[in-house]
Amino acid sequence: MRRLLPLLLCILSAAAWARDELHLYNWNNYISDATVRRFETECHCKLIQDYYSDNEEMLAKLAAGATGYDLIVPTGNAVEALIRSHALRPVDKSLLTNLGNVRSEYLDTPFDPGNRYSIPYAYTVTLIGYNFEKMRELGLPTNTWAVIFEPRYLQKVKGRVTVLDSQRELLAAALKYLGYSANDTDEAHWKQARDLIIRAKPYWAAFNASSYIKELTIGNIWLAHGYSNDMFQAMQDARRAGRPFTIGYGIPREGGVLSLDSMVLHKSGKRPDLGHRFIDFMLEGRNSSELTNLIGSGNPNAAALPYVTPELAANPAVFPDARQLQKLDMLRDLDRQQRRVLNRIWAEIKLR
Amino acid sequence: MPFSTITALLRTRLTRWAVSGPPFLFLLLFFLAPSLIMVLASFRYPGEFGGLAPLRDADPVVLQGLTLETYQFFFSDIIYAEIFLKSFVVALATTLICLVMAYPLALLIARSPKKHRDLMVLLVILPFASNFLVRVYAWMIILGPQSAFARLFNDVLGLFGIGPVALLFSPVAVLIGMVYVHLPFMILPLYTNLEKHDPVLLDAAQDLGANAWQRFWRVTFPLSLPGVFAGSALVFIPVLGMFAIPDILGGTRDMLIGNLIKEQFLGVRDWPFGATLSIMLTIAVLAWAGFSTWLAKKWSHGYA
Amino acid sequence: MRRGPWLWACAVLAYLFLYVPLIIVVVYSFNDSRLNAEWVGFTWHWYEILLNDENMLRAATNSLLIALVASSVATALGTMAGIAMHRYRPKLLPFMVITPVAMPEILLGVSLLLFFIQVLNLTLGMISVILAHITFCIGFVAIVVRARLAGMDESIFEAARDLGATPWETFKYVTFPLILPAVIAGFLMSFTLSLDDFVITFFTAGVGVSTLPLQIYSMIKIAVTPEVNAVSTVLMLLTLTMIVLAARFAPETLKSHT
Repeated sequence: MRRLLPLLLCILSAAAWARDELHLYNWNNYISDATVRRFETECHCKLIQDYYSDNEEMLAKLAAGATGYDLIVPTGNAVEALIRSHALRPVDKSLLTNLGNVRSEYLDTPFDPGNRYSIPYAYTVTLIGYNFEKMRELGLPTNTWAVIFEPRYLQKVKGRVTVLDSQRELLAAALKYLGYSANDTDEAHWKQARDLIIRAKPYWAAFNASSYIKELTIGNIWLAHGYSNDMFQAMQDARRAGRPFTIGYGIPREGGVLSLDSMVLHKSGKRPDLGHRFIDFMLEGRNSSELTNLIGSGNPNAAALPYVTPELAANPAVFPDARQLQKLDMLRDLDRQQRRVLNRIWAEIKLR
Repeated sequence: MPFSTITALLRTRLTRWAVSGPPFLFLLLFFLAPSLIMVLASFRYPGEFGGLAPLRDADPVVLQGLTLETYQFFFSDIIYAEIFLKSFVVALATTLICLVMAYPLALLIARSPKKHRDLMVLLVILPFASNFLVRVYAWMIILGPQSAFARLFNDVLGLFGIGPVALLFSPVAVLIGMVYVHLPFMILPLYTNLEKHDPVLLDAAQDLGANAWQRFWRVTFPLSLPGVFAGSALVFIPVLGMFAIPDILGGTRDMLIGNLIKEQFLGVRDWPFGATLSIMLTIAVLAWAGFSTWLAKKWSHGYA
Repeated sequence: MRRGPWLWACAVLAYLFLYVPLIIVVVYSFNDSRLNAEWVGFTWHWYEILLNDENMLRAATNSLLIALVASSVATALGTMAGIAMHRYRPKLLPFMVITPVAMPEILLGVSLLLFFIQVLNLTLGMISVILAHITFCIGFVAIVVRARLAGMDESIFEAARDLGATPWETFKYVTFPLILPAVIAGFLMSFTLSLDDFVITFFTAGVGVSTLPLQIYSMIKIAVTPEVNAVSTVLMLLTLTMIVLAARFAPETLKSHT
């Protein structure tokens, strides 16, 4: 009996603790443990995380009826889809004291004018990562998409290139290279992009989403189309492993895709109050900077800059200047007809 | 009718319902009904942001009702038929390779002394004990460019002046993965059949002057056809619907029908098209099952 | 009997083909290197990480719980189905029992996803996974039980009836003890199948419910470390035990796949 009481107290306190829970549905590896712990201490609550590795996966799971998430961190086009399907709670800006920290270029986006539902969290740019020494040795340019799409460059790196296994991203890269906007929905332009991709495909090793980081780090892959924060990680891994080469990455001159991830409140979340606290917490400069320092993601928070390591702060791929920003497009969501057409084009790309 | 007979009849009826009822109802609800829902879904519109559009909605502006547009979309481009064809070819290749690899092993086990047989069969099943993903992952390690095997392979190729070949993320890797995962399914039915062969037949053939190859081709193999067909079915049909293996081991061209279906539901938010593809796959599977049953009957007629 | 050297060679190669990849996985789980490339040194490191990996432990608990519940229900329903199929030769039941097993898994996964969302409006989670697992496990149990019954002498049941036993008594004192090995084997097989299932769980798990195979899959796709090897080894040991036990109880399990 005596042993039962402490056990009971433990269970009760755990239950009380459990009631103050914030459910966060976030990308893999998109928040540092230190930040999580600090938040939990500050708010006397527990942060419960679930992960996804792709916007479509998250949207599909939500469409499949997943509920109970207070906060989600979708990319712009997914935010758009969520807003239009009336799945989000409007953000109460009066609860956010640190909102002024966000840089104006990242506010008031086309997918959420006035930031009624979303608050910027972090961003990443889709660009080209490369093995610096190999590129120099082969005399290949690294500041243009041509190195991924033009056979005259590709034949030097045949079998050493990977591209993203994402319909939107790959098409966007091709469209940018051809001089169109990444959000161009003209089917004729899409067909042009498709042909460009099919022509380059024989030289590519694989369509890859995440394992290309490892391949770059080992030295199997010399060129990769991917996200800036993944490239940062590859660079660090290569350095730590003492590789005889360095990984570099940069935004091509034709431009690229800017993926702005924002915090949104899902309708089915039970603790919007805690959700707002989290958002405000992440808007603080120091907290926001931890993610950037950890994975090299872009930071839309002006107050974070003093806390970011100088190396990252000076990297134009992480903090693009105004001129580069103009060339970057944020992807908009497609309607069902366009999705079907894109679907078919993707099947052709994969098969031919 | 005497009362006791009625109660007896009732009791047998009741017992029958009590025994076959629960599983029947469960499967009716969780197998038959979902299949019918899928057929229905292939005739609906996709929801604007995912899922399915409603069948009926108060607001006339909202997309609703049934349509043939998804099937039209499927037949409008040859690409989807190509993907089906590709999946068939992969399934056929896997089946044939499995057959060639499994046959000697099954034959060996069948001809071993009884006390060894169970152990040998168990040794075949044990790899099946590992998770299917683990088996695929094992090949990721072996075929990865940094592995000893890949390097050795490429060194040998280098001797002939052929450039380094990427083993991983290629159709070869997918095929190896498919064969590896499904090999036990071919070995077991073959063995079950071969075990029943009467050695007297082979002795008789030898007495009549047949050499080893003739004995095999003219006696053993025809008798084993039912086992061959059973094993083939157990390999061909699952391979047709596979997506995980091309997903993990495949390269830029390896999209099979399973990958396409998965993408509709978990990628592109086009559920009606996913349903249409699934219906087509079901038809393909049924057609194949029917065809191979017919083939089996035709061939075994001569030897039954 | 005729077992020429040529036959031996092919068979040995086949066995090697089956086992070497798995041995590599196990061996590299002890490898002191992040990459599965070459042997560096022996370490328990990855197993330590495994035991401390919260997500993995949660997934493992989920897997075991789901497997336990699903295989229990599937064994009960499957035994009933097996008996019914043998005794009454119904027309529809065999089709409904065997097809979920024979069809490509993706079809069942996808149709259940549709069904749960559109019709039942069920949030995908533990319950949806358990229901899905029961659906494909029933078939296996039914086949095993039916095979066992088919191999038995009918006269025993007739004798019981002649001696005045009611159907329930016949079942309790005659049938059940005789098919018990098959039932146990069926349970163990269902447990293994449920534990190992990837495709169907992939579609019906929704968010928040991770099982070991799903966890392994996301690790393979995202960041492959030898931790995957470690969890694979542990999983292999577990299912190996199950299958060996099943083989002990009912050797015909191994043959009655068809």
